[in-house]
Amino acid sequence: MTLPDLALQIVYARVGWALVFATLLLALWRGPVNLTRPALVALLAVMLVLMALPGELSPAYWLGLAFQYPSGLLVGCCALRLVERWHGIRRSRAMPHTLAGVLVVCGALLYLDTFGLLARGFYYAGFWPVLTPIMATLGALACALAIVRGEARSPAAAMLGAIALFSLLRLPTGNLWDAMLDPLLCGWAVVTLLASVLRKSGRRASDHASDRILNAPESQAVSLTPGLQPAPIEQFSSVKE
Amino acid sequence: MSKPGVPHVSAGFPPLERMEISQIPRSRPGHWTVLVCALVVLLVIGAEALRWGRTAHSAHAAVPSIGSVIAAKKASLNAAAAAPAGATLTELSHTHIPAPHGMPSAHASALAPLAGDAMLAFWWAGSRESGPDVKVFASRWRNGAWSAPWEVASRDSLGKALGFGVRRIGNPVAWTDRAGKVHLYVVATGLGGWAAARIAHIVSSDGGASFEVKRVLPTSPLFNTSALVRTSPVALSDGGWWLPVYFEIGNKYPMLMAFDADGNPTSLARIGHSTSTLQPAIVPFSNHEVRALMRDDSDQERVQHASSRDGGANWEDLPALDLPNKSTSVAAIRLANGQFLMLHNHIAAGGSDRNLLRLSISSDLRSWSTVADIAKGPAGDEFSYPTMQQVGDELHITYTWQRQAIAHHRYKIALGAPGETT
Repeated sequence: MTLPDLALQIVYARVGWALVFATLLLALWRGPVNLTRPALVALLAVMLVLMALPGELSPAYWLGLAFQYPSGLLVGCCALRLVERWHGIRRSRAMPHTLAGVLVVCGALLYLDTFGLLARGFYYAGFWPVLTPIMATLGALACALAIVRGEARSPAAAMLGAIALFSLLRLPTGNLWDAMLDPLLCGWAVVTLLASVLRKSGRRASDHASDRILNAPESQAVSLTPGLQPAPIEQFSSVKE
Repeated sequence: MSKPGVPHVSAGFPPLERMEISQIPRSRPGHWTVLVCALVVLLVIGAEALRWGRTAHSAHAAVPSIGSVIAAKKASLNAAAAAPAGATLTELSHTHIPAPHGMPSAHASALAPLAGDAMLAFWWAGSRESGPDVKVFASRWRNGAWSAPWEVASRDSLGKALGFGVRRIGNPVAWTDRAGKVHLYVVATGLGGWAAARIAHIVSSDGGASFEVKRVLPTSPLFNTSALVRTSPVALSDGGWWLPVYFEIGNKYPMLMAFDADGNPTSLARIGHSTSTLQPAIVPFSNHEVRALMRDDSDQERVQHASSRDGGANWEDLPALDLPNKSTSVAAIRLANGQFLMLHNHIAAGGSDRNLLRLSISSDLRSWSTVADIAKGPAGDEFSYPTMQQVGDELHITYTWQRQAIAHHRYKIALGAPGETT
């Protein structure tokens, strides 16, 4: 078990929470226009300055009180989201469904074990002196391969960053689990999956509704006004968007 | 879900997946990307290999075992072991450790021996349990008297050093390493009650006069909360020690964190499968086995018991002892003659959970006989959270006295063959 130096943890916490907080504020931003690049830089700078304030003046002091440190992967995903916003991409690929699914399953197992319901010692394995380096090395190789092959590059880059932070400095806590998962990230994954399910069920419901309208015998007989007529198929093709 | 290339009819939801892809055109990775990836992977491999090599080397140099745990205990009990036949306790003194001014509440004492016959006591005191003014205090035992107490840790001092807030201060547990450094583990909560507790590790290189915060111990993936300490560490032959820890959010279970001689954690393990035991008091039982005696939070209301035969890595729950325990802390040590002493709250007829603090002795950790009732009062009184420390041929006992002070009893102990208890 190799643990990080406290001074490094303090710096990590401040930078990490600045990125997470900036991402959260951007996610909550419902302004009419996209945030400009200077505004994005200003937001990040303000967050970093705020987090660097001493003692109780720093939001990091209070965030740490509740959450201690964000996981490396959460910080990586947030950094990725900020880069996406920099490039004007509103719909994020920082948390794809596959990653969200893996995080939710791992989180469920880890937290059930932590609450004493499984008694498998999953968390303790994150300190094991042989397993942990092997897992970190294999994880880094897999992420690098995915990036080079162009497959799921964004989440792979976030994961590679988290693994590198863990392997080089053992941040945030010295446990591999804490580098790859925390309850906030797990919550993000759950929300992503739930939103996806809701979107799909909503889409399915609207598909059924439009199918019913198109296939109903009455619809053949009733002459719809131009505004109520189903739009041409091409209009919904994403290729044109 | 729409498939690429398949036109999709939707009244309100455009095919999102394809929109995302169209926004970020897939590009072939450039040379720089490949180079950066290769560099990061090489750094990861290099760092892990270097660390693994160091760990393997130090692990090969000294692997502490249960047998060596006993050997270490025996070494510390040499003076007592030379005593003639009979396990005899003779009270030398009893007193209260001086309380800090204006602190009416005190609880959860811990002891750490210093060079010579000196000793440190730690406990928390404040206006009330969980109060914002609760701090950890220390007092030094030297030449048969306790010094005036001094402040060791508060939520302000810990918060300042850690870089994040601490809401409340709780139990301290102390250990003196081979180099004479005093390691103090202090319960320091995050946002919430005791279930949000973390363990701060602070170290003194000047005999307890001043402490430096080392870190918060990583014990849980739930924002590192709900880990507490209460019972005394156990020595290992390589100079390291085991720190008993416990978890309590809803379920309660005991854990064990091992430290090397430099005070760095080396492993963490859960003790048993129970979800209603806590505050393990760990004693070496034989050359191949270590036992844990634990506070019981179940309806069974008996001192709980677990065993490990692989150096504390895996634990098996054993049947509870035939000693009552209504969720009160116990303390236990192994004597040089192979017997075990345990301090526990006995429930007498007409008594309450914590009004009788008893010292019992056993040869097998199963059958116990009473040595002495250390403190006793009417129902509702509290004499709890005991700690024992052997310094030379003296047995020091401290415990919480009515939640108002820390009491200290000092006994001369003479050990003999098992069964010769006096």
